[in-house]
Amino acid sequence: MPDTLAIKRISASPSALIPLASLRSGGPVYSKLVDISKCIGCKGCEVACKEWNDLKVEQTTNFGSFQSHKDLSSNTWLLMRFNEVELGDGDDLTWMIKKDACLHCEEPGCLFACPAPGAIVQYQNGIVDFNQDNCIGCQYCVSGCPFDIPRYDKETKTVAKCNMCIDRVEAGLEPACVKTCPTNAIEWGIKEDMLALADKKIDRLRERGYEHAAVYNPGGVGGTHMMYVVPHGDRLEDYRLPAHPTASPGQLRGLNVLQRVGSYLLGFGVISALVHFLAVGPERPEESV
Amino acid sequence: MVTPLIKRFSFVERIVHWVVGITFVALLATGLAFAYPSLFWLTMFLGGGPAARVLHPQIGVLFGVGILFMFGLWVRDMFLDRQDRAWLGAIKHYATHDRDNVPPAGKYNAGQKLFFWVQSVLAILFMVTGGLLWFPESFGATWLNTARLLHYASTLGGGLFLIVHVYLGTVAYPGTARSMIEGTVTPAWAKLHHPRWTGDRVDR
Ligand code: HEM
Ligand code: SF4
Repeated sequence: MPDTLAIKRISASPSALIPLASLRSGGPVYSKLVDISKCIGCKGCEVACKEWNDLKVEQTTNFGSFQSHKDLSSNTWLLMRFNEVELGDGDDLTWMIKKDACLHCEEPGCLFACPAPGAIVQYQNGIVDFNQDNCIGCQYCVSGCPFDIPRYDKETKTVAKCNMCIDRVEAGLEPACVKTCPTNAIEWGIKEDMLALADKKIDRLRERGYEHAAVYNPGGVGGTHMMYVVPHGDRLEDYRLPAHPTASPGQLRGLNVLQRVGSYLLGFGVISALVHFLAVGPERPEESV
Repeated sequence: MVTPLIKRFSFVERIVHWVVGITFVALLATGLAFAYPSLFWLTMFLGGGPAARVLHPQIGVLFGVGILFMFGLWVRDMFLDRQDRAWLGAIKHYATHDRDNVPPAGKYNAGQKLFFWVQSVLAILFMVTGGLLWFPESFGATWLNTARLLHYASTLGGGLFLIVHVYLGTVAYPGTARSMIEGTVTPAWAKLHHPRWTGDRVDR
């Protein structure tokens, strides 16, 4: 059995900053590869996601878009965003579709921001999973995520997002969205293989005239375990993909420093009081009445 | 013969102070639990992580209301005068119990007055940044992370001053704590700590 569920990082633990070494090295590191140019917009992946993960169905309304839901939610972990963009100055409207779901960052900002031990776990295989049993509902992961992915559920008071069908992956299967995609726009495999595949796809796209075709695997978060091949790599913002996402915003790093300083400061306070007491002692009023 | 005592804090003052004191300690415990993974077990006292997360801001509101009352009750006595400034200059004599070189204090000494002002300002910071963190959906990541930073920084200030406050109010100066419990102090205590203050005498 391959070492599919060895743990790499646990939120609010030392391993959040210093990843655990894999005890059984050489386990597979996976990635999805989403080829936007092959997506036909059928949304089968959305249905497969709901179905496999047993997520509540939400009433949708027509808001003038081909898109199913307006936004992700704690029950909608995957949303195909049909961004409507006019390319050039003609009237040729294009869908710059984005498969909006957790990217499973190599350096997950959500996990770094989380104060609840064990609420977010990253596996050696690349999957970042939320463990609602340990979630305290503070939503710091929401502000830690550079991709605006986690969603808070007011009823359960916990946060949820795509878990890469970890229960399928553990059993050697591909995630449900990959399985269902009729055009193989979503591929699944060892991350290195997926990067090589991305290169081939990019070459082919360039031959077809998409000179800016690129792979989206942002280095600011250490790379991701859901990568995209985008035909218009020079127009990331039109896909709603941040050009320079970072996992540890300056403020979070500041917080870590402050916490260290703080523990010394409070310790210093207690010790000073103790030393003062031993050196000078209490001062008693003279009760002469 | 019974010793006459001096009234220092009314019943209302004591209630308000202890609402502030107890809520603050509960907030400090849960807040530290959220800041330090190794202290997460402190959430146990309020029923575990999720319960502590729900209660922390609610207790915060109680603290806010309490400290607002406290401010209204005591602000009149808290402005520093000329002798208070002299007192601050002689603070090292105060710390070493060298009373002959400590300018006489009124109802509150300059240290107490500064503590009052520091806690009042920090309370505003707590409220504003805590409010942001309570409703994270309404604000962007930058706001929230900044709020988290400031909320935490004010905790450090408040926590450090609280350690000094509790130390001085209890073990360092015997006879002080009763002012906040029974509301009265002995004449000898008043003469030692607050020579310029003459409270109302009450019979035991
Ligand atoms: C929980 C532990 C606390 C203890 C044991 C404690 C104890 C005391 C005592 C004995 C006094 C009376 C001092 C006197 O008679 O001169 C006092 C006064 C006072 N307390 Fe506290 N207190 C606590 C927490 C707090 C907190 C959390 C605050 C505000 C954030 C606070 C604010 C004040 C203020 C402003 C005064 C009047 C001025 C002063 O004495 O500094 N206390 N406290
Ligand atoms: S995309 Fe967001 S939720 Fe997913 S691993 Fe990265 S930081 Fe976490």
